[in-house]
Amino acid sequence: MNLLLIICAVCSGAAVVGLSVLWVVETLKARRQGGFRSVLQRRYLHIVMSALYSGRGAVPRFPMLRRVGSRLVLAETLAGVVSMTYGLDVGLLRQVVARYGLDRWLLRRVRFAQGYRRARYLALLAVLPVGEGIPPRMARYGRSRNRYVRFFALMTRVSAEPLAALRRLADHAVPFSDTEVAEIMTWLRRGALPVAYEPLVASPSFNLRRVGLCVVRQFGIEEAEPLLLRLLDGEEPYASGTEALFTLCALHRPLVRREVSRCVARLSPSQRRALMRYMAQCSYSPQVLSRLFDDSESAYYDTIVRSYKRCLV
Amino acid sequence: MPRILIASDDEFARELVRLALAGVDAEVRCAGCGAELERLCARVLFDMVIVLRTAPFFCGRELIGRLRPEGLRRPVVYVLSWQQCEQTVLALLECGVDQYLTFPVSLQRLRAKVVSDLAVNGL
Repeated sequence: MNLLLIICAVCSGAAVVGLSVLWVVETLKARRQGGFRSVLQRRYLHIVMSALYSGRGAVPRFPMLRRVGSRLVLAETLAGVVSMTYGLDVGLLRQVVARYGLDRWLLRRVRFAQGYRRARYLALLAVLPVGEGIPPRMARYGRSRNRYVRFFALMTRVSAEPLAALRRLADHAVPFSDTEVAEIMTWLRRGALPVAYEPLVASPSFNLRRVGLCVVRQFGIEEAEPLLLRLLDGEEPYASGTEALFTLCALHRPLVRREVSRCVARLSPSQRRALMRYMAQCSYSPQVLSRLFDDSESAYYDTIVRSYKRCLV
Repeated sequence: MPRILIASDDEFARELVRLALAGVDAEVRCAGCGAELERLCARVLFDMVIVLRTAPFFCGRELIGRLRPEGLRRPVVYVLSWQQCEQTVLALLECGVDQYLTFPVSLQRLRAKVVSDLAVNGL
């Protein structure tokens, strides 16, 4: 019995020691990989920026590209440069992508990956200046069950063919989320496509209207007020009407109007509270509220205005 | 030679801005956004500090007061960030930030602004 106990203790001790050693080895390996990756990314970034600033237009050579993971580092570096800047020489970056076959390589990774990993590769493809053969292959991912995969497949097609962008955005079957609209706005801010807000806001497509309202909010286009008032009076108050109301607040426009009162009356209690919070953030006077909300709701507004968070703003 | 400090916890963004300023006739140094930034600014009087985040300005530590000694106009403080909210931008400008740029940013424009601000300050 004692012998059995000793053998069990020794075995468990050996297992603990073995697992600890394995953990230490894995940690050191991951750290080394991380360090290598970081050094390589810095080096690639340096090469890309030097090539862009030299103005010679020659495609640079990237060392250690045959090593495992190096191609992904290069793709991430190029994607990082493109997404954080505008006005750079896209032609040179396109040549780099084509010369090292990054788009085809990412497409292969997309094909073999699943779920969020697939979405991540598609997100990289959406930012890189890809070749002409890539957009048609995105159609199958546009039917994916994963929302992120669908969206980044759409963004890949949109960035590769900017002229068809609005049609593709309108054809997207699912309403865009706030983060998706923000992603589209970032793409627009890179100067990919000159857009006019009017056709977007007046569009029959819900998705295009959302993008249009976001354009109006971000650029503070006060001339869009009549269009916003028309949206408030529309038949779908829980879609564009509510967002148009928030856009009016963002523009600091007067809210004591018939259209606004009608729209506010149609909102649910939680939406009304959300609107009040947004109005407080946009510094509306409590007097405006007496025309839009009843007394019990106005008291809620007073608590927001008097809160310490409001004082900070 | 003027001194420029680029502060960010994101190494990639920091490096990108550093490389964008490579042709500027200045000594460019990099730091993290937290204690390292304050420590460096306490030791060295920089002519320009470029912070690539907004969070350090809203953590209640009066960062501008720590970066810029009282009575001095230096360092000129630039903030580059993804945030586009009007309230955030106004709050930053009110707390003493000199220039706010949103990502995506034009590196040529950034460089031109940096050069012109250094020239205005006679550096």
